[in-house]
Amino acid sequence: MNISWIEKNTFHYSEFSDLTRLVDEKQRKNLKISLCLPTLNEEETIAKEILIMKSELMTRYPILDEIVVVDSGSTDNTRKIARGYGANVYKATEILPDLVKFKGKGENLWKALFVTQGDIIVYLDADIKNIHHRFVYGLLGPLILFDNIKYVKAFYDRPIAIGKSKIRPTGGGRVTELVIRPLFSLFFPELTQILQPLSGEYAGYREIFENIPFPIGYGVETSMILDIYEKWGLDVFAQVDLDRRIHRNQDTRALGRMSFAILQTFIRRKKKLGLVDYKEKLYNEMIQYNLIKNEFKPDIYKIEEHERPPIIENPEYREKFKRIS
Amino acid sequence: MDNIIDKLPGFVDTIQSVQELIITNIVLIGQTPAPTFKEKRRTSVFMERLAEFQVDECTTDGYRNPIGIVKGTSESKPPIFVVAHLDTIFSKDVDHYYSIQENSITGAGIMDNSVGVGVLVSLPEIFRKLGLRFESDIVLAGVIQSLGKGNLRGIRHLLKTWATPIRGAVCIEGAELGRLNYYADGMIRCEVDCNISHVDGWEHKFKPNAILVLNEVINQIMKLRLPQKPRSRVIIGKTSGGFKHGMIAYDASLGFEIQSNSDKMVKSIFNCIKDIVEGTSHEYEVDLKLKTLSNIHAARLKFNHPLVKSSADVMKKLDLTPVSGPSESELSIFLSRKIPAVTLGITRGENLHQQNASVEIEPISKGIAQVIGVIMAIDSGVCDEHLLD
Repeated sequence: MNISWIEKNTFHYSEFSDLTRLVDEKQRKNLKISLCLPTLNEEETIAKEILIMKSELMTRYPILDEIVVVDSGSTDNTRKIARGYGANVYKATEILPDLVKFKGKGENLWKALFVTQGDIIVYLDADIKNIHHRFVYGLLGPLILFDNIKYVKAFYDRPIAIGKSKIRPTGGGRVTELVIRPLFSLFFPELTQILQPLSGEYAGYREIFENIPFPIGYGVETSMILDIYEKWGLDVFAQVDLDRRIHRNQDTRALGRMSFAILQTFIRRKKKLGLVDYKEKLYNEMIQYNLIKNEFKPDIYKIEEHERPPIIENPEYREKFKRIS
Repeated sequence: MDNIIDKLPGFVDTIQSVQELIITNIVLIGQTPAPTFKEKRRTSVFMERLAEFQVDECTTDGYRNPIGIVKGTSESKPPIFVVAHLDTIFSKDVDHYYSIQENSITGAGIMDNSVGVGVLVSLPEIFRKLGLRFESDIVLAGVIQSLGKGNLRGIRHLLKTWATPIRGAVCIEGAELGRLNYYADGMIRCEVDCNISHVDGWEHKFKPNAILVLNEVINQIMKLRLPQKPRSRVIIGKTSGGFKHGMIAYDASLGFEIQSNSDKMVKSIFNCIKDIVEGTSHEYEVDLKLKTLSNIHAARLKFNHPLVKSSADVMKKLDLTPVSGPSESELSIFLSRKIPAVTLGITRGENLHQQNASVEIEPISKGIAQVIGVIMAIDSGVCDEHLLD
């Protein structure tokens, strides 16, 4: 196992706080950069994210070329507010409208590839309460400054010791520690060096994203890591400590459903790679129980992780971006 | 002066064009908690942002008040101070993350004083956008330890140790747009603590109740005859005490302020209350302590002082109606040191000291134009010939 990766490819956002240097290097490499915010009812936080990024990374330092919001059909004022603060706003269903329609974060991320112009795309969750422009320039730093890095993931402050005297933040939330890390340890020990594989903030080159499939729901982060690892290896990855991130907490039941979807994705990937074979079909329902008037009643959630193929296989995309399949 | 005033409506549009930057500063400052005495993190953000905008000097004074200086063109003119207090009434455990809607920002401490501080750190960039150069150095100071027990220590220290004369000052508060404060009442802020021994002793046949003892103190304060001239009042502002519903309270405390436009009257009322506290302590045989948390002296500019007149003219040009009242903020310290100063508000809002305080975004540009108009007036010399009485 290549354990030197974590030493070489782990950064702190402050290493990239010289924004003039990032602008110079971006211009020298003639890069376009897009920020994509997938949304569903985020009226409390969306304006702040757009406004701060626009002020700091478009007006003051021309690092971002566009801010795009792809919305899953919010019923609050998310789209109106986002448009008011100057983002390009799309409803996911209106992008490539002839395709079968799905609803989920992965769907928004995949469709964003069609409407954004950037060579690099930064994906940021839209529910970050303590938003700061470091969330974007921290992710962009390794991509702009190091030619071998093609995909960067965020991690946040959870202290753990590495090496003899080094303390670094690491560790993930409950789903990471109870589901993903055991799976990675069992099947892909190298990937355990990615400290928070489920973090919703990451950035990468278009050439990476357009060549991988996107599950439409919770599994998108896991599948992205597995697919990029399989195609390009660990050396194209980097991870950046973005300090603290405050967002909404999810209850244990919701995390259970999330884990179910992630396991589905993981097993599907293992099967595709020929690493495992299952004799029987897997079920696609997550069953949770409630105690109602002294009776246990099941809550059954059908979780089918539909998956979009690599967008480069889509003729309209190839036409628009002049790509050959 | 007319020359300055005529430019102001045009300034509003230019300031509007950097609105995103101003709101970004307000949010980045505001989402960093800064309870009084614990302003260190907010001080760092303040300094980082000022450094970003390339002020000529960016430093802290000996008391850790962060300061940025925009150099003026004249070597001889004294500096103009623009100040906003950094601290808030909210502890760091309170959610400080702001929500921005179409025309509002909501969150703890937004009005008092994230808007004021955010605007203060945006001023260097706004000056640049407007192409403004001043004769005087402009000293942008975020002062710490202002509220409550802070007793305006930050501004007191800053002015005490500032080596050169000061030409004039503008104090910025988030709200309300239209305020024009140019006088400060004399004030003593006090706390009375009542503690009753938990141990049974011969003094009490029946244990007194600390809350009822303080109630007696309040009743006696209410009986004081306060004059209308000089204008005087006692504000009972805070109480706390007790453990649970069914138990006699052993501890209780009462917070109040004595305010008057006469220092002599403040002192006289304070002495009366001291007698009440001592008398009640004796009669009820309880431990009753009167503590002074802070005090400020009454000081004022006259209404016809050129700074007040110019400030009113600036506001009228921007279609604002000046509303005046006493202010116990940084203004009082400037005035007590004979430095002409006014306090101005930046925007309108609601729920001032609640966690869901909210301000309107749209009036902010006008509020800033007004501050710049007053700075320009001071720079043109309106304070130079008129010392305070």
